Amino acid sequence: MVVVSFLMLVPFYWVLKTSLTGENIYAYPPHIVPVDPHLFHYVDVWYLIPFPRYLLNSVIVTTMAICGNLLFNTAAGYALTKQFPGRRWVVLLFLSCMLIPFQATIIPAYLITSWLGVLNSYLGIALPLLSTIICIFIFKASFEAVPRSLIDAARVDGLSEWRIIVRIMLPLSKSAIATNVILTFIWSWNAFLWPLIVIRTPEMQTLPLGLARFLSVMEDTTGALFAFVVMVLVPGLTIFLMAQKEFIRGLTTGATKG
Amino acid sequence: MSWRRVLGHRFVAVPLALALLVAGWNTYIAFNNGGIIEGEVRDRAGAPVAGATVIFFERNFIYYEERQRATTDAHGVYRFTDMKTHIGQLEARTNDGRKSERRQLRLWFRSQDTEVAPLIVEPPRA
Repeated sequence: MVVVSFLMLVPFYWVLKTSLTGENIYAYPPHIVPVDPHLFHYVDVWYLIPFPRYLLNSVIVTTMAICGNLLFNTAAGYALTKQFPGRRWVVLLFLSCMLIPFQATIIPAYLITSWLGVLNSYLGIALPLLSTIICIFIFKASFEAVPRSLIDAARVDGLSEWRIIVRIMLPLSKSAIATNVILTFIWSWNAFLWPLIVIRTPEMQTLPLGLARFLSVMEDTTGALFAFVVMVLVPGLTIFLMAQKEFIRGLTTGATKG
Repeated sequence: MSWRRVLGHRFVAVPLALALLVAGWNTYIAFNNGGIIEGEVRDRAGAPVAGATVIFFERNFIYYEERQRATTDAHGVYRFTDMKTHIGQLEARTNDGRKSERRQLRLWFRSQDTEVAPLIVEPPRA
């Protein structure tokens, strides 16, 4: 376990070390311990490329994706716990849609986004991430674990379906919410292909696109490049570390009850 | 749920700590971003050099060009004002052909008020 952890953490350590020293990654012999470390590469990244703008774009798109996911996945997950004609077919449709890679649906997705007139906008970037099938099933599994008697009691008390979701289902599904938030965060934060297609102007670019642009425009900037990578990674790592307990519990619930 | 418990929750405490850190850092910047860079020019014996020209070259990933010039006073002190960068190089030149090595200058934020270690002018190598 220690060896595996070590092997997993070495690349992270190397990225962090290079961001602090700017040492050429092909230098031989490599220095294991950082030589003359400093944080100025981070300052360079902050000022010499429009990092705050990329960060703002990523934060807006990710927030939209998370809100959309919580809203639509909750509704869809709750609906799938109900008995209605064709439910089995809907579940089958969802499962079969998961087999189709996103790359195969890029052209229709682009045409729909264009038809809606939201190309090169935050909504356009967030649109395909507003609901994800795997997260619908996570909510479905979590909702199915809630005792039926609770829902019946709420209905007898006169609560509408939405209020049942908000007042009863969601407070009992914190793990599913955390899992949704983390998965959506990771997917939208790291999204590259879709933003690359729908974004037309540099000021709308998100962090992964900014990183690619930085790589193509700048030369001899090893330290700044790795500092940029660390700055892109840190928000995701922070959120994961904060919610890892709920995340793991949510995934486990999804695995055993789905 | 008491407010202490709410504040102590990691989903509240971590963003709050980060927000406080950012606010503190920005407050520090607000009080130290006059854009003043100053220092002294001396000769090899340590005597101040009056009338030397100090040139600031702004340097980043794309360009490298002269940004400002300043002249040292009778005490060998120079001063740049309204400097809106965080990275560059300084070089001192005298009228008799002596000059200093280019000193790399890296600041923690743009327009940071900075006092630079003395630039030493030397005769050109033969």
